[in-house]
Amino acid sequence: MHVGTGGATLGLALAPAGCGCANAVPVAPNASANVIANFDTENFMLQRYHTGCRGGRARSRPFVTWLQQRNPLDLRYGTYMNFALDSEQEMIVATVRRFAEREVRGWAAAADASGVLPPKLTAAGTELGFFVDAVPASAGGMLDGAYNHLTRALRSYELGRGCAATAALFESNVEPALAVAQWGSPALQTALFTALANGAIATTVRDSTGTLQVHSDASGNGIRISGRIGPAPGLATASHVLLLAECEGAPIVAVLDLAASQARVEAITPSGWRYASWGVATLEHAHIDAEHMLGRGPLGQFATDWILAWHRTSLAARAAGVAAAAMEHAERYGNERFQFGQPVGNFESIIRLREDSQTAAASARLNALYAGWACDQLGATPSVTAVHNAWDAASRARIIACDAVSKATIDAVQIFGGYGFVADYPVEKLMRDARAFEALLGDERLERTLRARNLVNTALVHT
Amino acid sequence: MDLFHDNPMFPAVRQMLGAFAKNMIRPIATKHDQEESMPWDLMKFAQGFGLTQTQVLDGRKQLTGQADESESDPSKPKTQARLGVVGAEELAYGCAGVCLAIGGSGLAGSPVARMGTDEQKAEFRKALSGRDAQGHIKVAAMALSEPATGSDISGLTTTATRDGNYWVLRGSKQWITNGQSASVYVVWAQTDPAAGRAGVRGFVVTRETPGLVPGRKEVKLGIRASETAQVHFEDCRVHQDMMLGVASAGGLSDTKKMLDSTRPAVGAQAVGIARAALEFVVDRVRSGTLHGTPMAAHQHLAFELAELEMEVAASRLMVHRAAWMADHHQDNVAFASMAKAHAARTAQTVTTRAMVLLGEEALMPGHPVEKWYRDAKIYDIFEGTGQIQRRIIAKHLTGVIAT
Repeated sequence: MHVGTGGATLGLALAPAGCGCANAVPVAPNASANVIANFDTENFMLQRYHTGCRGGRARSRPFVTWLQQRNPLDLRYGTYMNFALDSEQEMIVATVRRFAEREVRGWAAAADASGVLPPKLTAAGTELGFFVDAVPASAGGMLDGAYNHLTRALRSYELGRGCAATAALFESNVEPALAVAQWGSPALQTALFTALANGAIATTVRDSTGTLQVHSDASGNGIRISGRIGPAPGLATASHVLLLAECEGAPIVAVLDLAASQARVEAITPSGWRYASWGVATLEHAHIDAEHMLGRGPLGQFATDWILAWHRTSLAARAAGVAAAAMEHAERYGNERFQFGQPVGNFESIIRLREDSQTAAASARLNALYAGWACDQLGATPSVTAVHNAWDAASRARIIACDAVSKATIDAVQIFGGYGFVADYPVEKLMRDARAFEALLGDERLERTLRARNLVNTALVHT
Repeated sequence: MDLFHDNPMFPAVRQMLGAFAKNMIRPIATKHDQEESMPWDLMKFAQGFGLTQTQVLDGRKQLTGQADESESDPSKPKTQARLGVVGAEELAYGCAGVCLAIGGSGLAGSPVARMGTDEQKAEFRKALSGRDAQGHIKVAAMALSEPATGSDISGLTTTATRDGNYWVLRGSKQWITNGQSASVYVVWAQTDPAAGRAGVRGFVVTRETPGLVPGRKEVKLGIRASETAQVHFEDCRVHQDMMLGVASAGGLSDTKKMLDSTRPAVGAQAVGIARAALEFVVDRVRSGTLHGTPMAAHQHLAFELAELEMEVAASRLMVHRAAWMADHHQDNVAFASMAKAHAARTAQTVTTRAMVLLGEEALMPGHPVEKWYRDAKIYDIFEGTGQIQRRIIAKHLTGVIAT
């Protein structure tokens, strides 16, 4: 990961929070995932407590060294993030940044006004490989080896700086492709990958409030679903939906073939991400056979957490990008617009607005990148705890990023004043775009509250 | 404590306009927001029960059937400001855009009522009588802001040059409510650049005056039922009798006082939006379930509603106090700024949090809470931005203009 200005690559690594150790050691980003799979979190916590990373004994034995020997990749305390971008990441960031600034921003205003995705934007996204980057190369995609979520977060951030609607569409296929590659049958993999390689769109939808009616099919083969899914970006034109829901109290992850399930899909144009091919789909006893079920019960929860870790990392990075873009526009405008004999951006109250929002955006970006890095550490067979920790990192990143994008876009309109309220300038669009980041996939803070209560209750039962 | 408890007229007006907002405004609000169109039929209907375009000049009698007691005895408290905040909250509770469409002419009417001669008032009323070319009721526009002059209204560049018995107006105006459709405009222009803000004067200009060119209508983030447009003046000749403030001190200082006086009502509109959003989400939480459990049983949701309710109540009390001070002839400039700034922030906070609590539902096109979220932002910008309000409040505290 690259930090700072002037092209300096710092290669920093941070010490664990609270250990007081300054001798942090970078860790190879592709270290074995088995360490995670075999890691005993509870024992680690106990050891950490007794050896006292806050106490004197830890100082006589460098905590980082001790931690690395035990578990170099614990995500909750694993702050060994390497801040240096590799050459491929640098190339991707530069390419996407150029594309976002020169192409996407130029097209976004007209596409936002019409609510229609410009074909040239789709063509450019296809040419750059956005729609198939998570599809294995062997199936016509571009993925060769493990998917890199840190690189994706870097890319998402740059796309977000261009336009949230474009970013949503370009990122849409990733979760369905990765989930099917991880848990799907060979037949399902062939069906989805072939569709995506031929230009189809897939999207991810979550029933975060439990309003869908999902039941086991009487035949014992799969489930039946009734109710409305969405609104979701990409759903209006999608061929497949990666669905996260609950069936009879148990989490499920399934792939819905919209045509086969006879879903009634309605295209809609919300106020934000207007040209992101939004849709809602109504299902009436739609059958999803066992072949299309990726996980149910404990595996369903495991898969849900893992998918949400990916998805929220991307959402957070995109939101951070929109927040940064809002402040870029505001800073430029603040230097150009004069009131009371000086540039608007020269007033201390405006500087403070801008500084606070830029700080929030920078923090959001780093947290999103950390979440992406955390996802990358999971490997192919992580433990439940490791996946939960990645989910946790992504969830926190999303909260921070949503707060940042909400504040930054509202503040940007404020700095623009009357011009911020009209469509001549881009910031009113950014303020509309900001809302979807918090609404999609459910309220993050509420979910954390509910999960915390469930964890407490579970612990009490076990006690 | 209800600051209005001693006068039964206020609850009556609140009830009447509340019913009007719920039954007449709400059903059409989404349509006019999406189409970005003025609710002409509703504006005509509203005129029928006293919400006229010349209401500022006519006083409260048309709406309440009673003249203000202070009209006969200036030492007695007025009711105008309190009536304004009661009505504004109810109308904005229905739709802030429609509220501004109904009341937009009042912005132009205020300086005419305050500084106008009898002849000018008569001209203003005459221009607003009857129907316009489209068959709509006639509306007025206050043309003050300019492309380069938003918050800093002392830097106006539109000029008025004397030519015999006429003044010749040249320049452009920006963000003008009713700018495209108005039948009469109150235009502010610089008559003497050397005199600075003391040289700024208002002119009553009818639409058919040669050189007055309504400009482009703006596409806005919110309050889309209210028209906002540019207006251009190309050698527009206005008779000297139509210059405001000849008899009084006139000028920009009177205009600033007028803006000060409207702030409680503008703050009340923000309270109306916040109340609407809060009521919507309270209904949802009371009736909704979350994974099989009542939403209202979750502290996470219920306490958040409590926080928002506290903010709305505090904003309303501040707005009411600012209005009460105005009606009781007290200097309310700083308090009116506090009330307006606080209410604007509350409206943004409540609508933003309401959208988060509603989740994906609020993303559906035409969802009222999403519309209120967009509407709320203008209250931190127009009629003095949040920064201008804080400048006024801070100056009141320290005596220094902070830059």
